[in-house]
Amino acid sequence: MSEAESNAPTLSIDTFVERLRERAELPLTPLNSVDAPCASIQEDHLHRPGLALAGYVELFTYQRVQILGNTETRYLRHLDAQARREAFAHLTQFDIPCIICTAGNSLGASLLSMATEAHIPVFQTDTPTVDAMATIRALLVDHFAPQKAVHGSLVDVYGVGLLLSGPSGIGKSEVALDLIERGHRLVADDVVMVTRRDSSILMGAGTDLVQHFMEVRGLGLVDIRAMFGIRAIRFQKRVELVVQMEMADANTEYTRIDMIEGTHEILGVPLPQVRVPITPGKSVTVICEVIAMNYLLRHYGYNPKEVFQQRLRDRIQSKRSGLQRGIHYFEQDYE
Amino acid sequence: MTERTVTVTNQAGIHTRPASIIVRTASNFEAEIIIQRGAYEINGKSVIGVMTLAAEQGVELTLRADGPDESEALAALADLFARGFGETAPDESSANDDS
Repeated sequence: MSEAESNAPTLSIDTFVERLRERAELPLTPLNSVDAPCASIQEDHLHRPGLALAGYVELFTYQRVQILGNTETRYLRHLDAQARREAFAHLTQFDIPCIICTAGNSLGASLLSMATEAHIPVFQTDTPTVDAMATIRALLVDHFAPQKAVHGSLVDVYGVGLLLSGPSGIGKSEVALDLIERGHRLVADDVVMVTRRDSSILMGAGTDLVQHFMEVRGLGLVDIRAMFGIRAIRFQKRVELVVQMEMADANTEYTRIDMIEGTHEILGVPLPQVRVPITPGKSVTVICEVIAMNYLLRHYGYNPKEVFQQRLRDRIQSKRSGLQRGIHYFEQDYE
Repeated sequence: MTERTVTVTNQAGIHTRPASIIVRTASNFEAEIIIQRGAYEINGKSVIGVMTLAAEQGVELTLRADGPDESEALAALADLFARGFGETAPDESSANDDS
């Protein structure tokens, strides 16, 4: 059922070709017609089966999308008809999801019928091999990337992806709304689809169903895009910082010196986390803006904690006792 | 942590009204409530979350609760599903009208 699909996200050949055409602008021309392909795509790697064509099929990663570029095609062409069929049979003995001939290459009618018999779809593109492989690989990497639905709100605050996290009813959506009102951009509220790219980059987006709708307690559903316009939203943003909102607890010790304390792990990636206790009269929105600006400062090499520590250390070493008033104006200047 | 599997029984599936009933019920309990469809799981106290399940009739969902009142929470939620959120039992209501 559909449940199984989400557990093991295999990609059917039809969907693969459709997405390549629509999302990656790489249209593939089918060279044969296969009703029921023998396999679906299970992984994001591609393979150029040069050695397999030459007859060495040990460790042959047949389950990957197979790319036939200039080298493979030239090799097949230099063989006589009988040897060519034998070479190609090394491939067709396996359940290959599909074969793509790049750089305008093609297979002869005899090889194509072998592929059709083996239920292996063959496609063609004029795009040069290296470019086509990069495009296909990017699409597959995105499809097979680990993904998780996270409860929280993702807002772009001064270009920093802040994930507002915390228990239900603590006011995440209200803070997000306040941030939007102040000119920041909403990525998703309540359900953030987080996808891992490479090994340590987390990208957050909304769901296709909800997009930029939001539920505000007491108001019901509101559409941020319709209300605030295009400037108030964006479709995806890297998740950089987690703002953990929690009810203020007198027994918990909150950080006094350094903003970032601990990490929050999503899909195995530790994200820096700031714990913000909620107390009456506190504007979490302004705190979120300060968190974002402070994060940017640190990113650009300025750590207020270190700067202040150095200042204090210098003062202690200079043995200059007593605090002076921190004023730098001319004596006649009464401002 | 307690876990329970339920099936969506009402014909229209979990549209906005059942979603808000689920969330209202879940929010009455202290326990954290997760609803899972396949590999996709959401917070049971979020209306948007429950609606994104887009669960049609016949879909199996896993309810998980963690907290001091977890078994009561699951019992209350499972009861909602069993009764089809009050949408699948027109016979029962008409029977009540007669009496």
